[in-house]
Amino acid sequence: FCPGCRALQPPGPRPDLFRLMDCDRSFRVDAQQLQRRFRSLQRAVHPDRFGQRPPKEQYYSEQHSSLINKAYQTLLNPLSRGLYLLELHGVKPAQETDCDGDSVFLTEIMEINEKLAEPKNEDILEEIETLIKVKQEELTKEVTAAFERDDLQEAKKLLAKMKYFANLEDKLKNKKIPS
Amino acid sequence: VGDAMPWQVVDHYENPRNVGSLDRKAKNVGTGLVGAPACGDVMKLQVEVDENGKIIDARFKTFGCGSAIASSSLATEWVKGKTVDEALKIKNTDIAKELCLPPVKLHCSMLAEDAIKAALADYKLKQDPNKEESEKKA
Repeated sequence: FCPGCRALQPPGPRPDLFRLMDCDRSFRVDAQQLQRRFRSLQRAVHPDRFGQRPPKEQYYSEQHSSLINKAYQTLLNPLSRGLYLLELHGVKPAQETDCDGDSVFLTEIMEINEKLAEPKNEDILEEIETLIKVKQEELTKEVTAAFERDDLQEAKKLLAKMKYFANLEDKLKNKKIPS
Repeated sequence: VGDAMPWQVVDHYENPRNVGSLDRKAKNVGTGLVGAPACGDVMKLQVEVDENGKIIDARFKTFGCGSAIASSSLATEWVKGKTVDEALKIKNTDIAKELCLPPVKLHCSMLAEDAIKAALADYKLKQDPNKEESEKKA
């Protein structure tokens, strides 16, 4: 907001999402604090509060609001948070094909996918859901440790693994939706 | 985003050819298992090779986007009838062109090319037990 006339200003170019959400640039975040910050920011800039303001401010308010949504979603989810941190450090996410070098891991992913592709069975789905959650928690711990010792290459590898599990999580959610 | 899938991709998606598995323990079967870390797609491609070095059967199982499924489906069609050396020449650009893949999906065709190469490398390794190989977990 402009200090003089209190009119809403546009968001800056290429904002740092961590700074925006008042968090340290770290893989560890306090989810509750993040949520509080999200709510208080939205209270200040949400388009609903700018219905009476000039069109330019209404437009800025939409921009701020959607940026805050994006920042919140990115930092809340460990995978997107990790990938964003890598990006801030100038490390590109894994792009090259994972080959048989990691065949144990890929075989596991393949097997879970195959189970998920079978006709819906409540027990098996629950089993898979638990397995995915456990793996995601394990990986999140390992990623936290990697970032803490500044091992960005290891973090990159682990985040790639998390991506496979994130896809499985989505497929599982879709499977659970009553058809 | 509203980009329509090319009909070639839809065709392979709705009528995939050669979905399934071959016996990975068989000596003349090569198995390639590859993953795309950026999008989390996984692809398994297997080839069965006869005594003359000709690929007589191929199967695939892919979990990922339509373009990845189509790329691997097409790959299994293309390798059948080729010799191992001929199949190694298949390029991702050929696959992408045949399927009219948009630039954002080119990596799917690359994944298929890598899967072919991995399957053939596995087959070759099995033919030459004297070669040093890292233990392949069953």
